[in-house]
Amino acid sequence: MRRRAGRMYWSAPLSLVIFLCLALARPASGQNSDSENQKAISSLLQQIKELQQHDRELQERIEALESKQNGVDQKDGAQRVLNQEKDQSGVQNLRAEGGQKSQETTSGQSQPPATGSVGSTSVEGEALAEGVSAQLHNFHGIQWRGFAEVDYKILNQRYAELGTYGFVPGSSGNFYTGDFDLFLASHLSERTSVLAEIDFEEHDAQTFKVDLRRMLFKYDLNEHFKLSIGRNQTYVGYYNWAFRSASWLQTTADRPLVMEYSSDGGILPTQAVGMFATGSIPSGKLGLNYVAEYGSSDTIRPDINADGLLNDENNSNYANLGFFMTPDRIPGLRIGGSIYHDQISDLISTPGGVTIGTQAGSTNIPLESERWNQTIVNGHVVYVSHGIEFLNEGFLIRHAPIGGGEIFNTPAFYSQFSRKLGPIRPFLRYQYVNASLENPIYNDVSLRYGPSFGARYDANDYIALKVQLDRTARRGLPDLSGLHFQLSGTF
Amino acid sequence: MRKRTVRSESLQLLRSILMIWIASSLLVSFAAAQKKDIAVVVNPNNSVTNISFADLRKLFSGGKRTWPGGPPVKLIVRAPGSRERLALLRILAMSESEYKQYWTAQIFRGEVDAEPFTMPSFGMVKEAIKVFPGAISLVDPDEVKAGMDLRVIKVEGHLPGEEGYPVH
Repeated sequence: MRRRAGRMYWSAPLSLVIFLCLALARPASGQNSDSENQKAISSLLQQIKELQQHDRELQERIEALESKQNGVDQKDGAQRVLNQEKDQSGVQNLRAEGGQKSQETTSGQSQPPATGSVGSTSVEGEALAEGVSAQLHNFHGIQWRGFAEVDYKILNQRYAELGTYGFVPGSSGNFYTGDFDLFLASHLSERTSVLAEIDFEEHDAQTFKVDLRRMLFKYDLNEHFKLSIGRNQTYVGYYNWAFRSASWLQTTADRPLVMEYSSDGGILPTQAVGMFATGSIPSGKLGLNYVAEYGSSDTIRPDINADGLLNDENNSNYANLGFFMTPDRIPGLRIGGSIYHDQISDLISTPGGVTIGTQAGSTNIPLESERWNQTIVNGHVVYVSHGIEFLNEGFLIRHAPIGGGEIFNTPAFYSQFSRKLGPIRPFLRYQYVNASLENPIYNDVSLRYGPSFGARYDANDYIALKVQLDRTARRGLPDLSGLHFQLSGTF
Repeated sequence: MRKRTVRSESLQLLRSILMIWIASSLLVSFAAAQKKDIAVVVNPNNSVTNISFADLRKLFSGGKRTWPGGPPVKLIVRAPGSRERLALLRILAMSESEYKQYWTAQIFRGEVDAEPFTMPSFGMVKEAIKVFPGAISLVDPDEVKAGMDLRVIKVEGHLPGEEGYPVH
């Protein structure tokens, strides 16, 4: 194999030399004598011989070096690898060196190498930079990541509304910092680990709320059974699983309304405390997976129209079961669905937490709120590969009063398409939520639909700039337009 | 004079044929270099001898995390700019920036514990494979020699250099 490879490596340059010599030679004419041709051929043959000799010498040198390298104490070699994983002491030096080399090679980082490039400067520089990045994200065995965003959003209305981040009354445009997210994860043993996500979220008048978005004890037996206990994002929908709270991971500047966090005007129970089991089901090329959850998703949801009232849902324990498949034949495709069930109330409270009535209109004290069965059915078809992102999710949210009465079905969906073109990813999204005005749970939501389009520009591997234009039609209200700028990053 | 012209024309024709032949071989050589097979190597104690291309994709995307014998999969990858890295990106159908974003997302989702090890040289890859029983990596097959503490496994029943081998 080596001999064959050696031939291949040298055949190209040799052919090139011969080709160039012949190509550059003047066209044959009467002035070119046979002796001149003979001379040229002899010269070329001589060059071939010299190159072959040089090749042999290089092969001998490589073999000598490799035998010397193989002779190095194996313990030393193993220690070096372990050092790369564990040693923290040289991080600063590595950072300086890696950063410098990385800068030198940035322009050529996606170019294929001329050879196997073992030990070449550019590869070493990239490896150092990547190694440094991995080491800096590993502090005494704790993996950490950070995500941040700064936004500026202009709306064509002057009153605040949740779900559009217009929380500065009287202003049609304002800056805000969105989610500032810190993520920590650490191994406790080979199969157990702990994970936490702390979110600092801006609210009205530059007040910030600290939210423990996730805190999970995890047990990973294998890919067929992974169990987590603690607080987590629910698996109601692909979006909640894929993007969590990190704007930087999202293509768009904001989440679709139906997948928005309830504190930001979202309508679904996106957070829960409980047990979460996931894993793959042996199914060959079908790539079937399951998700099973049980816990409490107790949610207090501010009215989306920002009237200042809160919907205290007092959710009972919920159960959620989902399946999805990732077929081998189409890498990047994911088709799945889930069904969620719990019971909720329709209590209304003030921002101070005082319950003042029910959505159905009762103001009796003590309040006897009506209890409702809530069932959320989700279906999604997602394709993310070859630079294409095509997300499609549909929901049917069913509210049925336990004592009998009118049943309300709220359909919702979003569809998002984007294509990466170098550092720019233009996107288009269309979303739709249609809640009945008679539905006491969602009487603030009503009908909302419309497109969003814009582009994400990745300045580097850590910073993204996004611009997004929204147009939302609302039942009984003027259409709402918004222009959203976002600077998001990871560190 | 006439005889000399005919001879010169023959030489010119020969030279043209030779140039075409050399140009074709040059193109074929470059094409072969671009599509050179990349070997999949594991720790010699790993019982796996053959895997499908789909499983290889699952392994290198962190979707498959244990080997049939039980040891956890340890991904060892080469740095950006190497041919092995390009083969990895082809397996995953990702660009370099998508690859980095993918691993950040996977860690943040809690799906994996850490990014794959990135090694700057074949020597480091070799040592890492020796250290971790569940290690897997992509290497230039010409680097692999008898007596090394690593084993080349088949992909879809083929070894590097064989017809139908899918990792380039």
